[in-house]
Amino acid sequence: MKVMGVGGGAREHALAEAIARSTHSPKIYWVSELRNPGIYRIVKQSGGEYALARTTDAIKVAELAEKWNVDMVVIGPEEPNFHGVPDEVEKRGIPCIGAKRSLSIIEMSKAEMRRLQWRFNIPGKLLFKTYRSYEEAIEDLEKHADTLTWLQNVALKPARQAGGKGVKVVEDLQVYLRSEKKQFKKRHIRWIEQYMKKYGDIEERILIEEKVWGPEYTLQCFVDGRTVVGMPLVQDNKHAYEYDIGPETGGMGSYTGRGYLLPFITKEEYDRSLEIVKAMVDAIQRITGERYHGFIAGQMMLTEIEGPTLIEMYSRLGDPEGVNVMAMLKTDIVDIFEAIIDERLSKIKIEFAEVATVVKAMAPKGYPDFRDLAKNHPVYVDEKAIEKAGCKLYWGSVHLKEDGSMVTGGSRMIEILAFGESPQQASIKIERCLSNRPVRLLDGWELFYRSDIGSEEMIRKRTEIAERVRRLYKYREERGILGKRVDWLPKIGKIDPVKNLLDELKVIRS
Amino acid sequence: MPGILGIYPFGLGRENWRLARFVYYGLLALQHRGQEIASIITFDKELHNVTKKGFVDEAFDEKTINSIPGFIGVGFVSPTEEQTPIEVSNPLGLILVGDGKPELEEDVRESWRAFAELLAEEIDRTKNALRAALNIIEKVNGGYSFIALTENQELIAGRDVHGVKPLEVGSLGFDLGAVASESSALDVLGMEHIACVKPGEVVKFDPYSIERGRVKGADKVEPKYCSFEYVYLARPDSIINDIPIYKVRESIGVMLAKEHPVKADIVIGIPETAIPFALGYSKSSGIPVSLGFVTTGRKVRTAIKPSIFERLVGVQLKLNPIKCVIDGKDIVLIDDSVVRGTTLRNTVWNLKRKGARRVHVRIGSPSLVSSCPYGIEIPPPDELIARALDEREIAEVIGADTFSFLSIESLCKAIGLPCNRLCLSCWRRRT
Repeated sequence: MKVMGVGGGAREHALAEAIARSTHSPKIYWVSELRNPGIYRIVKQSGGEYALARTTDAIKVAELAEKWNVDMVVIGPEEPNFHGVPDEVEKRGIPCIGAKRSLSIIEMSKAEMRRLQWRFNIPGKLLFKTYRSYEEAIEDLEKHADTLTWLQNVALKPARQAGGKGVKVVEDLQVYLRSEKKQFKKRHIRWIEQYMKKYGDIEERILIEEKVWGPEYTLQCFVDGRTVVGMPLVQDNKHAYEYDIGPETGGMGSYTGRGYLLPFITKEEYDRSLEIVKAMVDAIQRITGERYHGFIAGQMMLTEIEGPTLIEMYSRLGDPEGVNVMAMLKTDIVDIFEAIIDERLSKIKIEFAEVATVVKAMAPKGYPDFRDLAKNHPVYVDEKAIEKAGCKLYWGSVHLKEDGSMVTGGSRMIEILAFGESPQQASIKIERCLSNRPVRLLDGWELFYRSDIGSEEMIRKRTEIAERVRRLYKYREERGILGKRVDWLPKIGKIDPVKNLLDELKVIRS
Repeated sequence: MPGILGIYPFGLGRENWRLARFVYYGLLALQHRGQEIASIITFDKELHNVTKKGFVDEAFDEKTINSIPGFIGVGFVSPTEEQTPIEVSNPLGLILVGDGKPELEEDVRESWRAFAELLAEEIDRTKNALRAALNIIEKVNGGYSFIALTENQELIAGRDVHGVKPLEVGSLGFDLGAVASESSALDVLGMEHIACVKPGEVVKFDPYSIERGRVKGADKVEPKYCSFEYVYLARPDSIINDIPIYKVRESIGVMLAKEHPVKADIVIGIPETAIPFALGYSKSSGIPVSLGFVTTGRKVRTAIKPSIFERLVGVQLKLNPIKCVIDGKDIVLIDDSVVRGTTLRNTVWNLKRKGARRVHVRIGSPSLVSSCPYGIEIPPPDELIARALDEREIAEVIGADTFSFLSIESLCKAIGLPCNRLCLSCWRRRT
């Protein structure tokens, strides 16, 4: 059997490793933009081949699949989905584990995702609004700055998935700091607009959503077009630096509890989250008429207004969250892929190890916002020392050059995983491992990572917040006002923003 | 006991922030820690230091705030005119603000100057600001917290290995990180309060990362958190070292009622610090609590005002008894601490004049008998009434019917830590 993978990060390394574990002993083929040292080794050991190419070039990737005559293709990152790589591969009769272009819109356009959710009236929604231009957004926000409407307190996002970049949340609660914050907000919107210009594929540039707070978690799933199978919950940590401070990244580290639940999420909340993801899959399949084969993930938050709430969707595994679940997966992944292709996921049993995991990413300084500074530094990794410390290494944004030397690609460079009885224990294991500095840059440029991920303090903090939110949404639920919002404008009166949005989008009754 | 604050921007467009106003409001929230000096320090291509005398809102008017450029901000309030931010220009430009006292010189200010110079030299030598700060903390005894801002845009914050003085961490969205003496300053800025900087820990912010380190073995050293913070210094809405101040103060009231019960009609707390004590005392004893005083003018911390004259003016302005509340009543009057006893004597006299029958004074702290080794402005030991007189004698002097301090054991219990994890120097007699 021949299996081909697409993408060159740590998530793809974890996928390749899971494929290599298969009892089918597949030959593994891979294509990515940088030569990932970890994947390269797996490919060579399996007797397969590795090619460098633009993974968004659907024709190129499909041609490689054809040339290598593989039995299936699995897509790691989102951009190949957005560019129709799965469509092109399947057109040539090769099954693909990856959301087709039209399906991956749930990730590519945050506005489309939200619109779909509202039209099908799926639980866990947020109020939203989109704008085509900076002027439009700023005019509207300024108009509502002093009103009792949800527009007073919003999160600004690029309307298109942009590698986790550009989200800023600026609250307006402190009236005395409003001018400073407003000024910053204005500048940020202008920046988003500029940034979005490089992606010519979406007309709405700016998305604003009501601001919410609560603990976040990721629910990743396998999908075969009929069945959605949930995996263990993972918590990713988006802030670049210690203490949850600093700019948004793709994720600096993640952890799982033992088994399916996180220490601060209940079984009921898991089930409700899974229902939301299932409903979203149904909705996108109904709209497009396509079958969803691959991975999907809900980036969720427990909120006071709705309980489990959908923040964003991934048409793929998360990174680093994918590394946690792939390392925990006990079932042969090739069996799962075959079941997805044949649409018989409901017939097979998918099992994960009952063990906690922690993943920590290391990145060169400069990541995420100043990537030019983070690029092209020579890399040294003492793999033996990491192994000896009981940890696993996943290569990320590193390029293995022809001469065998390695340089950074500018993004998260490696991810280190440890198993443990609890996330706290696994976290300590990684800390011990990294204290001997087994990972360095040879030119002296510094790396950073977050020591606090999975720590006792972090989990205590998340648990506290989860309990606070749970009390509030449960109370709303008891009173039957889950999801209800009320705005008020003088001379106009009370406004139901939910009803307005539903009217505007003409809800589809299932 | 100065208040210190540092705010740092991250990510794309970080230079677009103007943080002077953030620092200003943060300092307003720390005003109770010092009312003689207020400083706003910023970085914008170079370091700027605007240090002025007086209250924060007097020192900085709208025009001044708007004129201060800079996207990194540090703030400082001091209870003495002598203590101002320390500027070092050689071998490295750096401005340092500190709370407490590193044991380097006799004088607090000189100690901080020596500390700042050591730090600048060590950063220059090691080329690693985190390492440098850890080396200095390992070497220098004392009870202190500090924030230093270098000309290389590094903001370094740290605590001595015993964690005597407080320092808390916060954040705003994806944009700002901050450290401050008290969590309430972070709250006021709309920030998320995250954690305390641990004893012997250093946090370093630079444009591309946050790094933390802890002095080797500091996790095995017993902390000596300042107990005076919990009794008196900190705002009741602050959380310090994971312990909410309000909860401690209410428990102190409960302990006082148990240790020193008395029959009375009402419980009154002297605003503002003693109000939570009074609520706790009332809750535990069943004696109803009433509002006994209305204050006039701005909040002046009477124990820390420099001159006696100002103190007397301070108390008269501060506490006007509400006659109908106290007339004909037996009163439990609760105060936070007794330094010289002057303010308390005035207050008891005022209460009786307005009709109080009995006044039983209860103090929400043990007897203050020694000076602070870490720079809190407590008058010299021979001016401390509790060092000279016992409780019965103090009652006579201030004109109260009974008078009691809280025991040291109860104070520790109210804070929720064993006594050996707290600094109790000022409550203990040193010869």
